[in-house]
Amino acid sequence: MDTTLRHTPTREVRAALRDLGPVALGLAPFAVLIGVTGVRAGLGGGAGVLSSALLLGGSAQITALTMLAGGAPPLAILAAVVLVNARFLLYAAALEPWFRGQPAWFRWLGPQFVVDPTYALAARRDDLDAAGRRRYWLTAGTGLLAAWVGLTAAGAALAPVLPATAALDVAAPAMFLAVLVPLLHARPARAGASAAAVTAVVASPLPDGFGLLCGIAAGVVAATLADRSSR
Amino acid sequence: MTTTVVLLAAAVATSALRTVLVTVVPAHRLPAAARRALGHLAPAALVALVAAAVAGRRGPAALLHPGTVPVLAALAVAALVAWRTRRRPRPALPILAAVAVMIIWEVLS
Repeated sequence: MDTTLRHTPTREVRAALRDLGPVALGLAPFAVLIGVTGVRAGLGGGAGVLSSALLLGGSAQITALTMLAGGAPPLAILAAVVLVNARFLLYAAALEPWFRGQPAWFRWLGPQFVVDPTYALAARRDDLDAAGRRRYWLTAGTGLLAAWVGLTAAGAALAPVLPATAALDVAAPAMFLAVLVPLLHARPARAGASAAAVTAVVASPLPDGFGLLCGIAAGVVAATLADRSSR
Repeated sequence: MTTTVVLLAAAVATSALRTVLVTVVPAHRLPAAARRALGHLAPAALVALVAAAVAGRRGPAALLHPGTVPVLAALAVAALVAWRTRRRPRPALPILAAVAVMIIWEVLS
């Protein structure tokens, strides 16, 4: 009894921290970039850090900070953030079995950590019982949040001394590519990605992020049609 | 003030996106067509984000602009690295590769 009580929680916490290490390292440039973006966009270091604490989603944060700095209307910014983060619906849907049968507090609190890296971490863990999933998820989620906010603060602090280079500008789209490319193994995904890319570029002059919306919508429609034709 | 309010509203909306298919309407109760459409959302959103980052507000003409060439080269290298490591994804490598290409480009030009 004692062995189980003493060692099982520690094992799962350690496993989560061990899995999180390389992920946090990979995300570091992106988090730093958000801190730098907040400062250089004229919003102040606090805006980037606050966005990290509240949103925990780099692409939406960059979108929101850029649109805020550009003076976009609040509703347009909100719509853009919802669109950019709409993929969390998919991740949450896929992870729903992790939360099924868990206590109510965990079913409300746990999904707040749903984001690309935690989804990737959880998707490859099928060796945990219900309590172990809770410990693993909460450790990975809070650890990621702490690292994300800390690295964003570091970026905000370093922004004045970092050289003015365009090199960091490609970090965010490169991060999106890093997540995207492994998803392109199926034909519908490739069809959707092609349609989304072409449409997003053609529609990019549209105001308030509507080009992005058009690209996403075209991609989903094209992928759905390709999926149907391949059945 | 506006920044804080907008970020708070965005946080509430994002929280709803994260919880709705876990707590409010568990995903296994959705119609099959809706579940399939959700499955196509991630690639479309990610590639649209990349395209929007490259094009800015300039439309297709952005792809022919001289300033876009190093960005396209950097992202092409990042995509190649991501493809080569797709079976054991390492998110840091494509980012570092893209930044390295940009730095080399700036040094050489």
